[in-house]
Amino acid sequence: MGLGSFGFLIREGLLNIRRNGLMSLAALGTVTVALTVLGGSLWTAHRINEFAQLQPQKFNQVDVFLKPEVTREQSLAVQARVQLLPDVKSARLVTKEQAWARLQTDEPTITEAMPENPLPDKFEIEARDATHVDAMARQLRNTGQFPEVAKISDASKEVRTMLGFARIIRVLGGSVAVGLFVATLFIVQNTIRLTVFARRREIRIMQLVGATPGFIRFPLLLEGVFHGVVGAALASAIILLCGREVSRFVAQLNSPLLGDVPTHLGPADVVSGLIAIGAFVGLVGSYLSLRRFLKQI
Amino acid sequence: MSLQNGTSGATLMIELQAVTVAYRNQVTALSHVDLYVAKGEFVFIVGPTGAGKSTLLKLLYRDEKATEGRVIVAGQDLNAIRPGEVPHFRRKLGIVFQDFGLLPNKTVYENVAFALRVIGAGKAAIRRQVPGVLEMVGMAHRPDSFPAQLSGGEQQRVAIARALVNDPPLLLADEPTGNLDPDTSHGIAQLLNHINIRGTTVLVATHDATIVDRMPRRVLAFAQGCLVRDDAQGAYREAVVGRGNGKKEPEAAPWA
Repeated sequence: MGLGSFGFLIREGLLNIRRNGLMSLAALGTVTVALTVLGGSLWTAHRINEFAQLQPQKFNQVDVFLKPEVTREQSLAVQARVQLLPDVKSARLVTKEQAWARLQTDEPTITEAMPENPLPDKFEIEARDATHVDAMARQLRNTGQFPEVAKISDASKEVRTMLGFARIIRVLGGSVAVGLFVATLFIVQNTIRLTVFARRREIRIMQLVGATPGFIRFPLLLEGVFHGVVGAALASAIILLCGREVSRFVAQLNSPLLGDVPTHLGPADVVSGLIAIGAFVGLVGSYLSLRRFLKQI
Repeated sequence: MSLQNGTSGATLMIELQAVTVAYRNQVTALSHVDLYVAKGEFVFIVGPTGAGKSTLLKLLYRDEKATEGRVIVAGQDLNAIRPGEVPHFRRKLGIVFQDFGLLPNKTVYENVAFALRVIGAGKAAIRRQVPGVLEMVGMAHRPDSFPAQLSGGEQQRVAIARALVNDPPLLLADEPTGNLDPDTSHGIAQLLNHINIRGTTVLVATHDATIVDRMPRRVLAFAQGCLVRDDAQGAYREAVVGRGNGKKEPEAAPWA
């Protein structure tokens, strides 16, 4: 195949896309949606994993609030008893004065409105092992053993839900990603099959005037790759925009649990990764659709 | 390599030996057909719908494979041909259809050039060959028209130009005048005749009695998949009417 032929094939591929505008648009739309779902799922899973990896210290930690009437001596006695528990690694006393001072700097409007410090003494207790947190919390809730304790707040529900979710993603993530990938491939293949079907007359003529299967295939494969790449570019734009909006929303919540998690996956990685997936899916999808047509020779 | 002897190998364009084409549903499209066409001949193939005319043409351009027997076209044994060689074999043929088969979004020039393009010809070859073949079919004046802007006869002329642009030794036409009025059909028949006089072997499958009768050429009549008549200078009506007492009685196919 000469250089002139190669140029002809590239031009044919591009011309096909232009002349079959509506069909191309439909294919592009489908590919974009499929890749947005696939890429969005992978990206979300990755972000949740990153978030989960930053959480172990929060997960290990239990906050124990004492009753307001408990004196400082009693608090220190409780601390000594807590430290004897086998699952406890450390128990740090945060006095009501320290907590009040922290609140005064963080939320001055709230403290100004209050006549006096309503906060109790608190322990920040760290477990030796994340798996023993529940047992440790149960022991601390035992009012017979610790009558001074008012309330225990272990790893917050949000964190737990998020971690459970992350665990599911870790366990199922692989198979779900493969499933989504196959579904995307299937959708793209079917869409490209339509564009190939719309061009069956042209393919037939090419076969009859003696074009080799490779020659017939090339512009159509190029078209598949084009749809995959442009669809991936659009999909990554959608994913990055949505990601930015979610980050903004989370930052605006000002929650100590859901701070903006730094990511190792930059926009360039998302775009290039999705484009690689898109190109692959487009290529394989169009190859599979064409195989049936070209078998007829 | 074909096993035919030296003399016939040099002069035969088409050779069918006891060819049967049967489909999986037990329908026999062609049954024990023996047929020889010499280089440079002009042959009409006639017969009612379903007689096997189109199957015969498909067999010749290797769109269909013989279930039994041998098919040799332009020196190529089509039973032995590898799938990868089929495109190269087809470059030795020009094929023309009833529905013209032009690409609607390409101009006359582009449609003809397309046949050269897809076999890897360069721009220089295209510039050299396309105007000449358009001139020959009488379409040199409208290279930039699109098929929809042309009459049926003109479209068929463009299709013939496309079939001939590779200068194939054999031209196959399947109902080339099926969509055309009598006058236009006559023009197309004359064009095919002209092409034959230039040296191309021409095979025309047709229902069109007028063009067959106007041109006393070899006529092969088919009925129910069998070759029932082979007249050196036949006429359409004669050939069809005479199918009951054909020269070559077909042998019954074992599964028919």
